[in-house]
Amino acid sequence: MGIFLQQLINGLELGSLYALVALGYTLIYGILEMLNFAHGDVYMVGAFLAAGVAALFVHNEVAAIPAGLVVGLMVVMAMGGAGLLGVGIERVAYRPLRNANRLAPLITAIGVSLFLESAVQVWVSPAPVLVPSNALVPQTVLHLGGLTTPLTGLMLFVIAVALMVALDAFVFRTRFGSAMRATAQDREAATFMGIDVDRVILVTFFVASALAGMAGVLFGLWHATADFFMGYLLGIKAFTAAVIGGIGNIRGAMIGGLLLGVLESLAGGFISTQFQDTFVFLALITVLLIRPQGLFGQPLTDRA
Amino acid sequence: MAQPRIFALIAVAAVGLAACGGGSTGGAATNKPDKVQIAAEGPFTGDQASIGAGALKAIQLAVKDFNAAGGVNGTQVQLLIWDDQHSAQVAQTLQAAGISDPTVLGIVGPMNSGVVLGSVTGLQSASPPLPFVSESASNTKVTDSGWSVAHRVNARDDAQGPADAKFMIDQGAKKVEVMDAKSDYSTALADQTETALKAKSIPTQRDSVKAGTTDFSTIITKIKSFGADWVYFADEGPEAAPFVSQLKQANLTIGQNINFLGTDGEEDSSIITKSQGAYDGAYATNITADPAGVSGSAAAAYVTEYKAAYGADSLNSAGPFYGSAYEAAQALLQAIKNSPVNNGKISRADVISHLASDTFTTIFGSVKFDSKGDVQGGGIYVYQAKGSNMVVLKQVSG
Repeated sequence: MGIFLQQLINGLELGSLYALVALGYTLIYGILEMLNFAHGDVYMVGAFLAAGVAALFVHNEVAAIPAGLVVGLMVVMAMGGAGLLGVGIERVAYRPLRNANRLAPLITAIGVSLFLESAVQVWVSPAPVLVPSNALVPQTVLHLGGLTTPLTGLMLFVIAVALMVALDAFVFRTRFGSAMRATAQDREAATFMGIDVDRVILVTFFVASALAGMAGVLFGLWHATADFFMGYLLGIKAFTAAVIGGIGNIRGAMIGGLLLGVLESLAGGFISTQFQDTFVFLALITVLLIRPQGLFGQPLTDRA
Repeated sequence: MAQPRIFALIAVAAVGLAACGGGSTGGAATNKPDKVQIAAEGPFTGDQASIGAGALKAIQLAVKDFNAAGGVNGTQVQLLIWDDQHSAQVAQTLQAAGISDPTVLGIVGPMNSGVVLGSVTGLQSASPPLPFVSESASNTKVTDSGWSVAHRVNARDDAQGPADAKFMIDQGAKKVEVMDAKSDYSTALADQTETALKAKSIPTQRDSVKAGTTDFSTIITKIKSFGADWVYFADEGPEAAPFVSQLKQANLTIGQNINFLGTDGEEDSSIITKSQGAYDGAYATNITADPAGVSGSAAAAYVTEYKAAYGADSLNSAGPFYGSAYEAAQALLQAIKNSPVNNGKISRADVISHLASDTFTTIFGSVKFDSKGDVQGGGIYVYQAKGSNMVVLKQVSG
């Protein structure tokens, strides 16, 4: 039982990371009906921005700056930087193709993804870089009975859930949120109602990408590393989580992410790590066979 | 019908001219080849760029040094860069261009066993066959299959696995967690080591991580419940730092309540800083020597040169094969230089026979290949993380 609960905790922490990134896939799909395959790499860039800020202040020992402020700067840089990157990608790579064949933006998205990976690999580092988490956050390990979790893991989970709740409120409780939902339902009708659709799309990209940037910061503080390939596998998993939850559905993406993390952890822990991913994608196939729209998705309409 | 005839006439004329040209060159009694090309092949981008990028820099340096010393009787060697991205399909496409160009005389690489095994038949069946000298492919099949094109300067899996197992047992291992990273190299090596451990009745538990995995909490929970006192991770590198950091987060401290033995990518000292010291005390074995860790003035001079060319901290991202890549390039270039020049041309068949028969001078001393293409006396080196360095402890064998 102890091991089961421990694997459950492991899974929830990992799953909250998936969920944060999955939200981006689902937000953008909701608005544009396109899969932003570069989203995992936006997360990677966020992690590198955070690593860069941390390295600047920790290695140069600018002692006057307290750790809390450095972490704050990491968050601002990573969320802002990733957000602007998302907006830039939309402007350069997707907007010109908005009325093109549906396959075209999908292929540009893959191109953007490869570009970001290669750019970071060539210009920044082909090897993993350090996020000096020891100097930034307490490396406390929490104990509860026989169960353990690093404080940073718990922090990841709590902040991720808080951000999801905030996003949910933003989309469902604010004026701008209703503009987003209107755009998701019918872009043309939204234009006729006086909604600036281009602006809604830009903000959506900014928010989705900033969340991915935050996921990069939280990951860096949790596991102290960033590398150019980190967004690839995580992107695929997060995308899977979004589809399991029902792509386009925000709450679905959250639940899907957590579910996927737990599933992966339990499959690896109790069946086999060799076949861990097999079970993850088996779950995806099963969900799609039984509920093609995903767990929380509604067929066709009302996507945001 | 007219066109083929015209072509035939042109062809005859061209052959005539070529014959004249050949005659006059022969008359000048020069043995300067017209053009010499070699290729560097490896995963220079993609998921394994962390091992490929440093090797490519080493090969570029080797060619530059060779050319500065006069090249092949005065002809500068041109280096082609074939980035196979750890994919045999990409490798085949790149190699096809080289196979059809007779002035491409050899390959330094491919680096990954899986890429070699997926593309070697094309190299072998070319006319003449296109030889390669790998700096890192360790799967036994690379040289055991009787291909005359295959050579490598690194040691083999079947030397490394048993040596790794014996090292852990000698250090007192009781229960070993064996991990692989799901590649042709890593799985085969982990299998070899696990078999050798089981033969000595050491209980093992086997786990796999996929390339790009960054969260290891599931496996670490399993390691704890299994009660392993050693973790063996057959990996090419990028996963080691986050893995050992997370071991420490789970209260498993290397050197205290857990021991760690890694493989080729994991004798990299940057893992110590990247894991914020969690790697201190860990061991790693390598199928090639690290020039910065062995004695010998040639190796030391090379390290100095590498730093001068690519920056003082460039060794941190040089990967495990920056030494063997330079060594492999030296062997190939010397074999080409030793081959006869006829009418300004060097035949790949001659390069293959010189690779088989000659002894080469490299940064690691004299090197000679055996009849299968394996390097003679290829050793397994054990390193340990101490302070901020990986220190060579000793050379081991199964």
